[in-house]
Amino acid sequence: MVTHEDVLKIANLAKLSVAPEELDGLTKDMNEIIAFADTVSAASADVSDFDNINGLSNVFREDVPVPSYRREDILKNAESSEDGYFLVRRRR
Amino acid sequence: MGKYGTIARLHELLTTRQISCAELAKKYLDAIETDNGRLNAYVKATPETALAAAEKVDAKIAAGRPIAPLEGIPMTLKDNISTAGIETTCCSKILKGYVPIYDATVWSLLKRQNAVLLGKTNMDEFAMGSTCETSRFGGAKNPHDTGRVAGGSSGGVAAAVGGNLAAYGLGSDTGGSIRQPASFCGIVGFKPTYGAVSRYGLVAFASSFDQIGPITQSVEDAALVYDAISAYDEMDSTSSGRKEPALPSLGNDIRGKKIGIAREYFDGVREDVNGAIRKALDVFRSLGAETVELSMPSLKYSLPVYYILACAEASSNLGRYDGIRYGYQTAHYTDRNDMVCKTRSEGFGAEVKRRILLGTYVLSAGYYDAYYKKAQNLRGTIVRAFENAFQKCDLMLAPTVPMTAFASGRTAKDPVETYLTDICTVPVNIAGLPGISVPCGTGADGMPVGLQLIGPKFSEAAVLNAANRYELAARESSFKAVKAGVSL
Amino acid sequence: MNYELVCGLETHVELATKTKIFCSCTTEFGAEPNTHCCPVCIGLPGTLPKLNKAVVEYAVTAGLATHCEINPDAKMDRKNYVYPDLPKAYQISEYDQPLCRNGYVELASGKKIRLTRIHIEEDAGKLVHERGNTLIDYNRGGVPLIEIVSEPDIRSIGEAAEYVEQLQAIMRYIGVSDCKMQEGSLRCDVNVSVRPQGSDRLGTRTEIKNMNSFSHMTKAIQYEMDRQIDLLESGEDVVQETRRYNEETGCTEGMRGKEDANDYRYFRDPDLVAIRVTDDMVAALKAKMPEGPQKRLARFQTEYGLPEADARLLIDRRRIADYFEAAAKGTKNPRTVANCILGPIFSRLDSDAAKDEFRVSVSPENLNALVGLLDAGKIRKNLVKSTLEKMLDTGKPAAAFLSEKDLAGVNPDDLRKICEQAAADNPNAVKDYRGGKEKALKAVLGAVMKMTRGRANPQEAEKILTQIMKA
Ligand SMILES: [Mg+2]
Ligand SMILES: [Zn+2]
Repeated sequence: MVTHEDVLKIANLAKLSVAPEELDGLTKDMNEIIAFADTVSAASADVSDFDNINGLSNVFREDVPVPSYRREDILKNAESSEDGYFLVRRRR
Repeated sequence: MGKYGTIARLHELLTTRQISCAELAKKYLDAIETDNGRLNAYVKATPETALAAAEKVDAKIAAGRPIAPLEGIPMTLKDNISTAGIETTCCSKILKGYVPIYDATVWSLLKRQNAVLLGKTNMDEFAMGSTCETSRFGGAKNPHDTGRVAGGSSGGVAAAVGGNLAAYGLGSDTGGSIRQPASFCGIVGFKPTYGAVSRYGLVAFASSFDQIGPITQSVEDAALVYDAISAYDEMDSTSSGRKEPALPSLGNDIRGKKIGIAREYFDGVREDVNGAIRKALDVFRSLGAETVELSMPSLKYSLPVYYILACAEASSNLGRYDGIRYGYQTAHYTDRNDMVCKTRSEGFGAEVKRRILLGTYVLSAGYYDAYYKKAQNLRGTIVRAFENAFQKCDLMLAPTVPMTAFASGRTAKDPVETYLTDICTVPVNIAGLPGISVPCGTGADGMPVGLQLIGPKFSEAAVLNAANRYELAARESSFKAVKAGVSL
Repeated sequence: MNYELVCGLETHVELATKTKIFCSCTTEFGAEPNTHCCPVCIGLPGTLPKLNKAVVEYAVTAGLATHCEINPDAKMDRKNYVYPDLPKAYQISEYDQPLCRNGYVELASGKKIRLTRIHIEEDAGKLVHERGNTLIDYNRGGVPLIEIVSEPDIRSIGEAAEYVEQLQAIMRYIGVSDCKMQEGSLRCDVNVSVRPQGSDRLGTRTEIKNMNSFSHMTKAIQYEMDRQIDLLESGEDVVQETRRYNEETGCTEGMRGKEDANDYRYFRDPDLVAIRVTDDMVAALKAKMPEGPQKRLARFQTEYGLPEADARLLIDRRRIADYFEAAAKGTKNPRTVANCILGPIFSRLDSDAAKDEFRVSVSPENLNALVGLLDAGKIRKNLVKSTLEKMLDTGKPAAAFLSEKDLAGVNPDDLRKICEQAAADNPNAVKDYRGGKEKALKAVLGAVMKMTRGRANPQEAEKILTQIMKA
């Protein structure tokens, strides 16, 4: 069972704020999804260390510089910037 | 457009100068003006981009130079494929106003061939959904019945191609998002082998599942587009490069080919859908293919395995949307942390938040082994089950979706129930295999049914060929015409 | 009660690659903010990492130089946490399969500080706080790092400092990093605990983050030791936490708040593929690896006959040691070469930074040629230093300052005449000498050398003067 507290903890890790009125619904949804996910815990896997679908190895890039992007393009999509920096204002 | 507005037919119209490329593009742009309100396929039209490319092609034709098969063909891209200078938002509020400064590799490949981009198409937010209804813009409608969903997540591409508002489009398939809407809209959707097509520039949902592929009006078109986008890419470490082009092998005999039928794929499939699939099997038999009965018990874990792993990856991939470098930022906050939390909470929709929370949960301390690690090992088990199956058969056949397109507005009441619609499509993504959905008639409700062909890794040529053999043999009975969009 | 320090270090070293770890942007230091950036290193949606081969090579080389086992089957993982300096909200690092494991660094005493692991990862961007606003520069984001983790084997502040110095020397030597603490290319997190002398239990430790100078590090460890001893003495517990060193107060302070959300949710990065370090790769890197500083120190003493103190000064920086070896090539007078470097050349490089840079106007080949003249007996030893000074002033080779007369020395007839003149000029010295004061000859010899501007062979001149003055 996932509690309100668990949901808040997970939301904090995920940087999502949960309004008090959302908490009940979200906890219910989470419990339902986790119960669904729980079916895997009963399953037996005949593979013990699978974690790589692509099966490739040693794909490397050579250490050769290419010109970077223009700063105005790098900053173009930012909500705010100042003196060439990305900017997060203290409060708004 | 005669019967089918296929790429081959449009190419012929262009090269025989029956229509100029600009005229062709305008026809599609006009049709979008007229019909998009009804279908909600496009979230952004790009007429300048389209006409600029069309003019280049017309100049080539006027100069008597030959044009490549995809040159001048009007097409669309799902809104999660990055296009420099054109807003790319994954139909999420959090990417509102984001204009990429680079092109996805697939788009630069097609751009080089003077593809005519008509616009960006609707999708479930961040490709998370099976109905297209988690989109910030509302769902795309099914061109066969606008009271029903186009499917998802690439619902917009499927509605556009199915509704004759584009000749073809590129979608992305993480758990069925190309094949399922193609099935619902009565067209062809092809998900290549993991690594066959570069993911560079595809906004990530679940990196080890995501794969770009074509949604088209015919299997031949799918092969044509697949060949054009399946080049090795320096920018994607998981890019394998195409083993062989698919188009030249179309037309090969499938006599004696073994088609595997795993019974687990048919559990819970609606009777009329099952009937359409069985009829299609008869067509395959008539083409000389043999069928082999298979059992793959581990497939029953596909859905939870998929949701655990895909959500885990998504929770990490979606961490970057913090309102600082691009996209939406909340209007009021007290400090930096509050800005990030509010931006994310206001910017993401409910389904995306649910999946981020689930993904965060299964990776968090104390739960990793029970969920994430266990699911990885089950993924390995399913991979092995497919390997064993392909010892006994050349291809596998299954329904694409256990039902036909359902009525709009049903989503999100019960997330788990919605997840169940992906049951036949996710195993292919789990195992990184190529899979195609081809129309195979209609259900009792008159809506299109899709059959799914699955092959071993990098067997796209064989998968496309078998699909093409079936399509040609069954064409009259498998396709259902639509009254929408461009007619030529 | 007496307490002893138990200390282990996590050292982050920026690698000397030309490009970042996952994109082709330059790693150059000190550029305008956000000018060394691309879609990949600012984490734009849809971008993917591609691993720089040189990063793996440098890390394996670092492992070999510190006696590590090289992991044949490594991979990259994601360390997830949200912070504005981390554009993807995860750092790509190595969690449970680092490239190198189980090595050590040997101190001068012969004590070995064991290394748990060395892994590769990406650096974060840089935050500037101004009037409560946050300014972000991602130039440093994606610069490759190795993190070198030691076992808690360090027992004194001196050992801690020596360990870091050794690491610095090794990494510079093998060329994987310039290890400039002032530019942040070497940074340490220090784990500190104390326990009663003789106890074999480990006390509760605290971690002091981001030490970027030796003096701060030693002060921070001292402060933290004292603080923990005070706590234990007064019967309180040490709280396991992350602390920061306050340069102004000289104290360490708890970093509240950052802890509560530390659940990094590591998992394999699906955008990257396995790293398989083959035996062939290791052998090739071994073959390319330069000699380590310890070996070189011993060799400089045996091969060149240098005193240990001089050898140490030379090997301290690989660039200088290399310069010395090039300049001393084939010479009979390696100590003269060493003296040239430690004397005239060092006196012109008055800071550590200048010695690091080692910008010298005289090439090692030109210094070698100068000493070659001495070897051949064409010039006298005392001419070497003054000629070198002129060479350093102008950057010109020795030949520019030595006339044919200089190079030829003084012919015997001329020398006799000069000696006679010198004796005549110094009658008192001659008188003293004849009176039995042997030392008086030196004064006359000095005059001869002065008159010949050092070109005379002093042994020859002495012989002639003895004859003249005895007469
Ligand atoms: Mg680290
Ligand atoms: Zn970059």
